[in-house]
Amino acid sequence: MKTLLFRWLLPSILIYTFASPAMAALEIFACEPEWGALVNEMAGSRAKVFVATTAMQNPHLVQARPSLISHARLADLIIYSGAELEVGYLPVIVQQSGNDKIQVGKTGNLDASKYVPLIEVPTILDRSQGDVHPMGNPHIHYDPRNMIRVGAELRRRLTEIDPAGATEYEQRYQAFSQRMQEAITKWVQEAAPLKGVAVIENHKEISYLFNWLGMPVTGSLEPKPGVEPTAGHLAELVANQKMRPARMIVPASNRDPKPAQWLSQQIKIPVVAVPLTVGGSGGAKDLFSLYDDAIRTLLAGLKS
Amino acid sequence: MFRPTAMAVATALAFNVPLAARAQSSSDLEDVRRQIQDLKDAYESRINSLEKRLKNAEESARSAPTNASQPATEAPAAQAENLPQKQSTPNAFNPAISLILNGTYGNFKQDPTQYGITGFQPPGATSPGDRSFSLGESELFITANVDHMFMGALNLSLQGDAVSVEEAYFQTLSLGHGFTLKGGRFFSGIGYQNSVHAHAWDFVDPSLVQRAFLGDNYGDDGVQLSWVAPLPLYVEVGGELGRGRSLAGTAVDGELAGNDRNKNGVGAGTIFLHVGDDVGASNSYRVGLSHLRTSTGTNAFPLADFDSVTGVTNTFSNAQVKIYGADFVWKWAPEGNYQYQNFKFVAEWFQIHRDGDLTFDTTGPAITGAFDQRQAGWYVQGAYQFHPYWRVGLRYDQLQKGSIDAGINSANIAAPDYTPKRYSAMLDWNPSEFSRIRVQYNEDKSQQFLTDHQIFLQYIYSLGTHGAHKF
Repeated sequence: MKTLLFRWLLPSILIYTFASPAMAALEIFACEPEWGALVNEMAGSRAKVFVATTAMQNPHLVQARPSLISHARLADLIIYSGAELEVGYLPVIVQQSGNDKIQVGKTGNLDASKYVPLIEVPTILDRSQGDVHPMGNPHIHYDPRNMIRVGAELRRRLTEIDPAGATEYEQRYQAFSQRMQEAITKWVQEAAPLKGVAVIENHKEISYLFNWLGMPVTGSLEPKPGVEPTAGHLAELVANQKMRPARMIVPASNRDPKPAQWLSQQIKIPVVAVPLTVGGSGGAKDLFSLYDDAIRTLLAGLKS
Repeated sequence: MFRPTAMAVATALAFNVPLAARAQSSSDLEDVRRQIQDLKDAYESRINSLEKRLKNAEESARSAPTNASQPATEAPAAQAENLPQKQSTPNAFNPAISLILNGTYGNFKQDPTQYGITGFQPPGATSPGDRSFSLGESELFITANVDHMFMGALNLSLQGDAVSVEEAYFQTLSLGHGFTLKGGRFFSGIGYQNSVHAHAWDFVDPSLVQRAFLGDNYGDDGVQLSWVAPLPLYVEVGGELGRGRSLAGTAVDGELAGNDRNKNGVGAGTIFLHVGDDVGASNSYRVGLSHLRTSTGTNAFPLADFDSVTGVTNTFSNAQVKIYGADFVWKWAPEGNYQYQNFKFVAEWFQIHRDGDLTFDTTGPAITGAFDQRQAGWYVQGAYQFHPYWRVGLRYDQLQKGSIDAGINSANIAAPDYTPKRYSAMLDWNPSEFSRIRVQYNEDKSQQFLTDHQIFLQYIYSLGTHGAHKF
C-alpha cells in the first residue's frame, strides 16, 4: 500500500497537477465516438480525446462509471449529443467531477443538439409513448451536415479555451467543412438510387440518415422508442408490409439481430445493418468512412 | 379555411333576410342580388388573402429549421443562426421533479413486529416490513441549479402518513480542481449502499449489516467535502462533519430528539476513499474504504441488545462509536452494452467498535464500568440481467457477534452466542427504465431460534424527470 502510494500515486498526481499545462494538449471528453472523431478532425494533436462509449453500446443505458468521473475531472471540454440522450449518467458525472470548466453553461460544456435542427420533436409528451425525448431526436450524428454545424461551434469553443491554437483550429475547420461539403455532394449523388426507398428501422437512431437521404420509414421494430420488439408488434409490421411495402430492414449493428431476421424471413426483404456510429463496423473508422460505409451498405442492400 | 367560409355564408344570410323582406319590386330584387354578389366578392377576396397569408406562414415555418426541406447538399453553416428560440414562460425555471411510488405485499412466517437481530442493536427502523399489502416509501426529488455557483436538492420521504426530509442540501458547482462541497442534510458517502436511495436498491430490503449498524441510510446534518484526484484512474477522497443527528450504532430509533446532545461543535465525522476504473470495455469496478466516528457525550443511551439477554435495562454513556467499512462494486456487460445482458456484483464489510461506560441494571444496582465491544458484518450480492426486461439476484448476509470486554460488569453481560444470517433471492421485471415489479424471498435467520420465511412483492414506479443514477 505504501509503495503504491509513494512510487506511483503521488508522483502521478504531481505530474498531472503541475506538468499538464506545459504539455499543452487539451483534454476532451466525448460522450459518443462520433464526437471523438469530430474533435480529432478539429483539433488534431492539440487535444487528447477520451471517448466514454463505443458504437457497440446503447448510448441511453450507459453507467456513471468511475472512469467517466476521473476523465471528466481532467477535461477542458466535454462534448455530447444532448437532447437528453445522456440524461441517465452525464449529470451525475459532471456533478461528481468537481470540475468547474465543464458545468452546464460553461464554454467547456458543448451540447451539440443546441446547434443543429432537431427532427421528430414529439407533439405528445407522455411516457406512455415510450422513452421520448422532449426536445426531439437526439441521434443527430447521422446527418453529415450536422457535423459541419457542430464543428463550427467546436472551433469557437476550442479557440476560446486554447487561444494559442486559434489559427490551427480555423484552418482545420475550413479544411474539414470543405472536405465534408464535397463529400456530401458526392454522397448525395451516390445515394440517388436510395431516394424514396422505404425502410423499416429498429430504433430511431438512424432517422437523421433516412431524413437526409429522403428514405421513408414505414415502421420500427420497437413498438415504442426504447421498448423491445414484441411478437404482436412484429405481426403488425408483417401486415403493414402489404399496404406500405418497405425494401429493407435497417437496424444499427449493435442491436440484437433476431427480431430483424425473423421479420426478414416473414416479409422477404433483406436485413441491412449499418454501424450505429464510428467504430460500429470494420469500415467506419472516422466520420467520412462512417457515412461512406452506411451509404455503400444501403446501396448493396438495394441490389440484394 | 372552414371558418371564414362559414362566416361569410352566415353574414350573407344575416344581411339577406331583412333585405329580402323589404324587397318588393324586381329592381329591388336586382339590388339585393347585386348586394349579395358584392358581399360574396368581398368575402371571397378576403378569404383568398387569408389563405395566401396562411400559405406564406406555413412556407416560412417549413423553410426555417428542419432538414427536410433543405436540399440535401446545402451548406448548413449559416443555418445554426435560424434555430428556433424557446419561448420563455413563468415556470421555465421550475426545478426538476421526480416522484417514486413504491408498495409491497409481504408474507412473513414470524411476526415482523417482533423482529430483531440477536446480539445487535439496529439504529434505525428494525422492522423487515409489514404483513399483507402496504404502501412503501414514496419519494419526492426536487433539484435545480441555484445559480452559477450552487445546486440544490430536496428529497422527501413519505412513508405511511409521515413525511420526513431524507436529504436537503446544496452542492457547489464551481470550486474546481476536483473539489465539491455539500452542505445540509444528506446521505453519508460511507460504504456503497448507504448513499443509494431505496428505490434503486437491487433487493427490497437493505443488507443486514447496513440495518444493524447504520439503518437504511445513514445521513446527518452537516457538510461534506470531496476531492477527485486529477488522474485517469478514479481516486476520490472525502470527509464529512456533522451534528451526529442520528447516532450510528447506538441510538434506539436512529434519531435523537432534536440536538439532543446540546453540544457545540461536531458530533460525528466520516472519511472515505474510492478508487475505480474500467477493465476493458466490458468491466468496471469501484472499491472503497470508509470510517465513521461519533460520540454520545455524557448522555446515556439504552443498550437494548443486552436487555433481552440480561433481562434488565442497561445504558451506555461517554461512548465513542467507530465504524470501519470496505466495499467493492463490479459491473459487467458484454462490450459495455447494458441493454441485453449485464451483471452487477456488490460486497461490503463493516466493523463497529463501541467504547464507553456501561451501566448495568439502571433500576437496580446500577453498576457502571468500562465497556468495549467489537462486532462485524458483511454481505455479497449479485444481480444478473439476462434479458432486456428481466433480472435475477442472489444475496447472502452474515453478522459476527465479535468480542465484548465489559470490565467489572463481565459477569453480568455476555453476548448471545449466535451468528445471524440471511439468504435472499429476487426476480424483477423492468418493462422500461421507469417501472419495476419485483418478487423476493428471504430465509432470514436474524433471530436465534426463529427462522423467518419472507416473501415480498414490490412495485417501484418513477415519474417525472429522468433520474441519473450513481455507479
